[in-house]
Amino acid sequence: MDPRPLSYWWGRAVYGAVAGVLFAFLLVFLLRTLFGFEPLWEGGVYGGVAGLIGGIGFLWGIGCFDFWLGWAKGADISVEDHSFHGATNWRHYFRLNTDHKVIGIQYLAMTLFFMLWGGLMALLIRTELAAPGQQFADGETFNGFLSMHATLMIFVFAVPVFGGIANFALPIMLGAKDMAFPRLNALSLWFLPVAGGLFLSSMFTGMFGAAWTAYPPLASQGTMGQTLFELGVQFAGASSIATAINFLATIITMRAPGMTIWRMPILAWATGVTSVLVVFATPFVAGSQFLTMFDRVMGTHFFAPDQGGDVVMYQHIFWFYSHPAVYIMLLPGFGIISEVIATFARKPLFGYRAMAFSLVAIAVLGFGVWAHHMFVSGMAAWLRVPMMITTIIIAIPTGVKMWSWLATLWQGKIHMKTPMLWALGFLFTFLMGGLSGVFLGVVPIDIQVSDTYFVTAHLHYVLYGGTVYTVFAGLYYWFPKMTGKMYSERLGQWHFWLTFVGTQLTFLPMHWQGLQGMPRRVADYDPRFATVNAIETLGSYMLAIATFIFFYNVITSWKSGPKAPWNPWRGKTLEWLVSSPPPIFNFDAIPQVVGGPYQYGIPDARHAVVFAPEEFGGELKEDTRYPVLVVANQTLVSQTLIDEIRSRDADGLWSFQFVVPVGDDDRSIAERRLATTLAILAGHGVAATGRIVEGDVVDVATEAATEAVPHELVLVTLPLTQGAWMRADVVDKIRKATGVPMSHVVVPADDARAITGASTLPMVMVVAGEAVGAEALATAVRARADAAPARFTIVLALDLSEPRWGAEATERRRTAGVAMTATVNALVSTGVAVEGQVMDDAPSVALPLAITAFAPAQIIVAGVNGEADALAGAVQEAAGDTPVEIVDVGTVAGS
Amino acid sequence: MATTAGHGHAGHDDGAHGAAPAHGRSPLLLSMLLFIGSEVMLFASLFTAYFFIRYGVPNETWPPLKADGEPFELPVVMTLVNTLFLVMSSFTLWWGEQRLAAGDNKGLIRGLWVTIFLGATFLLIQLNEYAHLGFTPQDRAFSGAFYTLTGFHGMHVLVGLIILSMCLRRAYKRDFSTAYHTPLTAGSYYWHFVDIVWVLLFLLVYVI
Ligand code: HEM
Ligand SMILES: [Cu+2]
Repeated sequence: MDPRPLSYWWGRAVYGAVAGVLFAFLLVFLLRTLFGFEPLWEGGVYGGVAGLIGGIGFLWGIGCFDFWLGWAKGADISVEDHSFHGATNWRHYFRLNTDHKVIGIQYLAMTLFFMLWGGLMALLIRTELAAPGQQFADGETFNGFLSMHATLMIFVFAVPVFGGIANFALPIMLGAKDMAFPRLNALSLWFLPVAGGLFLSSMFTGMFGAAWTAYPPLASQGTMGQTLFELGVQFAGASSIATAINFLATIITMRAPGMTIWRMPILAWATGVTSVLVVFATPFVAGSQFLTMFDRVMGTHFFAPDQGGDVVMYQHIFWFYSHPAVYIMLLPGFGIISEVIATFARKPLFGYRAMAFSLVAIAVLGFGVWAHHMFVSGMAAWLRVPMMITTIIIAIPTGVKMWSWLATLWQGKIHMKTPMLWALGFLFTFLMGGLSGVFLGVVPIDIQVSDTYFVTAHLHYVLYGGTVYTVFAGLYYWFPKMTGKMYSERLGQWHFWLTFVGTQLTFLPMHWQGLQGMPRRVADYDPRFATVNAIETLGSYMLAIATFIFFYNVITSWKSGPKAPWNPWRGKTLEWLVSSPPPIFNFDAIPQVVGGPYQYGIPDARHAVVFAPEEFGGELKEDTRYPVLVVANQTLVSQTLIDEIRSRDADGLWSFQFVVPVGDDDRSIAERRLATTLAILAGHGVAATGRIVEGDVVDVATEAATEAVPHELVLVTLPLTQGAWMRADVVDKIRKATGVPMSHVVVPADDARAITGASTLPMVMVVAGEAVGAEALATAVRARADAAPARFTIVLALDLSEPRWGAEATERRRTAGVAMTATVNALVSTGVAVEGQVMDDAPSVALPLAITAFAPAQIIVAGVNGEADALAGAVQEAAGDTPVEIVDVGTVAGS
Repeated sequence: MATTAGHGHAGHDDGAHGAAPAHGRSPLLLSMLLFIGSEVMLFASLFTAYFFIRYGVPNETWPPLKADGEPFELPVVMTLVNTLFLVMSSFTLWWGEQRLAAGDNKGLIRGLWVTIFLGATFLLIQLNEYAHLGFTPQDRAFSGAFYTLTGFHGMHVLVGLIILSMCLRRAYKRDFSTAYHTPLTAGSYYWHFVDIVWVLLFLLVYVI
């Protein structure tokens, strides 16, 4: 690791920036003097050149070019030099880093920082608009706030933020050790503070006021801030393009063996398609800003009609980027949502290929709709209808995605964790935005509501839903992986619900407001809009509070949250098969991909196989498995627990150690439950061991965790209101006491009994008559269960008197049922997997039928009062080779 | 950015993190192609501006009139000669690569020198043209578009020359062989692209 301290790097960065600015001033001054330009002082020119050279100076100072400059100078530099790779303490996040995981987090921190600034601007806008008339900002200042809000939100939040998430997750998901070009990756990142810094610094030079769209001729006037805006867009664009090329190179050339394109997670598809958009569309915004800048700085006349210029041309070039740009701000979010929904619905993603193709279709169509932003601009009229048609056609692939997500949710086992809440919130919010978008695509409607708050409503529903919600879904989803800590679920839920309600309050009324004719981008309005505006302002404050909760949650959880397990969500994709946080080069050895990424609920399906470190031969080691500690007692043998262990086992990484704490309760019951559980798991090929330990759960778990140093502790309990453990708040206590990553699995009360469908255990059929209901029968079955784990079916054949629907027969059936239930309950509550069956025929008819139906591995005839022989006689023939054991369980009174 | 990016690629093209680049494609060449795609779109945006201005001129004559009432005149013949220089440089570069493929590093060096010489000549002639055109970017919308297009192209030639000089240096160090020449190939893609853009520019701006 490079030893130079932060002060060195940041000192150099400040030096580079200041020196660059001074040099630029000198240069422009000299040139203007030399060529005799009048006037000598021209703010925009100086500002523009200073911004450019100062920005490059900053990039040099922070170290972006050191490697390449060293290489060009012929210095002794190796491509294997990893001294800027990875982070071992917080300082490494604040300087140049080439590790994609660190860069991903840096990206997110930086873009969220700009989102905060943009949000602050939004609050200023909303405060000014809280009531009619002027509150604190005049028209020009308002324009400044509005432009700054939109610009920060678009260029340094919504567009680059996904670069953060994809940077972190994508290389791991593909099974790569890093991005294709780590140093270029770092450069892309550091372009962002330059871009954002240029935007923000315009606050000191007179804010730009032509909004984020910067239409000339408005943008041709204005202050030096406008030049800084144009320059900032160039830096942001360069960042986007460099990252996009990097992503594409990574996706195309760095996939792990077996990772065919049809096995890639949808996030990889989304990032790839987005990157293509970025590579081919972003140059157009660069072009448009070059032209406006030349008009301002060099005195060209691109947009001066009296000199042969054309303002509508700007709009064409600008929107040829900026419409695809809305997909740049949405498609990666679609990818994130696909990951989250499949994982939390525990179902394979519906229509995987349709999902991938619809992404491609959206991107392709996205290039052919730009002029729907210009229906009222005075462009060539014949363009309107074709653009309207293409616009509406885009709703089709988008609809395909919507329905696929819904179909994935359909009959899924939905877990309402925070990421899932954001995903569902996205579905609703984005749907609203999509519908108003179809409205706006229709020429007559657009002409009616163009430049009104209807457009503002549409755009925020799309961007809030498609960008903010999806980013939060992704942040909560990968937070444990990024930081190795769990966030607070409670605060996460608060964050979501406040944001959700806040979004609707702020933006829903804007539809109505726009239809009633309130124009957008105005600082004052007609008093009849007072109420809606007040409501919207209230909503925006709610959003501010929610955002505050988010940052509080992130900061405190990262600092002191509970440790996260490797795979808290039971995800299938590769990033969940490495530790949290992942090791420095992600994998000890390149993994082998063997199946699709979303095979949830498919028994034993695997996405990938992770190899052992090279020191051990680099082969798959079935025997070197990391221990996972499972703490449970009453919930052993339940279907939930077995499923949970089996789904973890599909990772192929774990060996399971059961620890069963027993207190005052019967130790033999715990032993029986444990033995049955282990036998069922063994039948599924799961490697598990177990032991019974006397003592309090917390003590037992803590001790076991210290002994085994498990990678994860799985605590299995009854729901909150049942069971003594939960009442004693053991989850938090164990978490605090052990300090190991922990998962808490809740078994519903009606499942917390021995399972019946344990098909891997041998089936024992117990034929009983009058013994049913007696304690003696239960004791006999328990004895058999303790001898070797098995599942049991107790069969009672009733020799009913005619008529079978008569009162007497009914009464006998009822008593038999009660007795059977008593026996079964007595058995399952002590850990025996058992079912009862009351049959309506004489033993000689019923029992052979039962044997055929159950195909038991063993038959036990449990007779009382001397009935054993008669019962045995009834089964003898049908039993064939099946061993039959006759036990006399004594005499039972009555019946 | 092209040059800086180029080096990063060069470094990691060799599999910097021990990860054998799978799927048999070179990330460097791929990214150069993507980068060129991006550059094509940049020129496309500038050409868009040019055509809007061109078909937006109110009077019928083309080229339009300067601010002083005289028509713009471009030195077509001289530029045609210059165009031939640039086109030739693509072929000399190709020849150099062929020599390398035949195992002749000397030939590569010779090819690169000639290419760089031709490219530099092109730039100088173009600068000389600027000095004698008789109009400035500030004249009318057309002149702004003319200088923007040719200026952007000139910058690209400059970047191309820098890339080729770096290749030349590496050729002297005998870094390239018949088996390994990815950075050279990437550089030559870029040079051919710069060349093709010029031919288009010449046809669309000077000739028609
Ligand atoms: C706290 C949350 C937000 C609030 C309260 C808010 C509020 C507003 C308001 C009131 C306007 C319209 C101003 C006017 O037309 O006079 C506006 C414009 C805009 N907002 Fe937001 N906004 C928020 C979040 C966002 C986000 C997250 C994005 C993008 C990711 C965004 C992007 C934009 C854009 C691009 C415009 C300019 C629209 C135009 O061109 O007229 N906003 N915002
Ligand atoms: Cu659009």
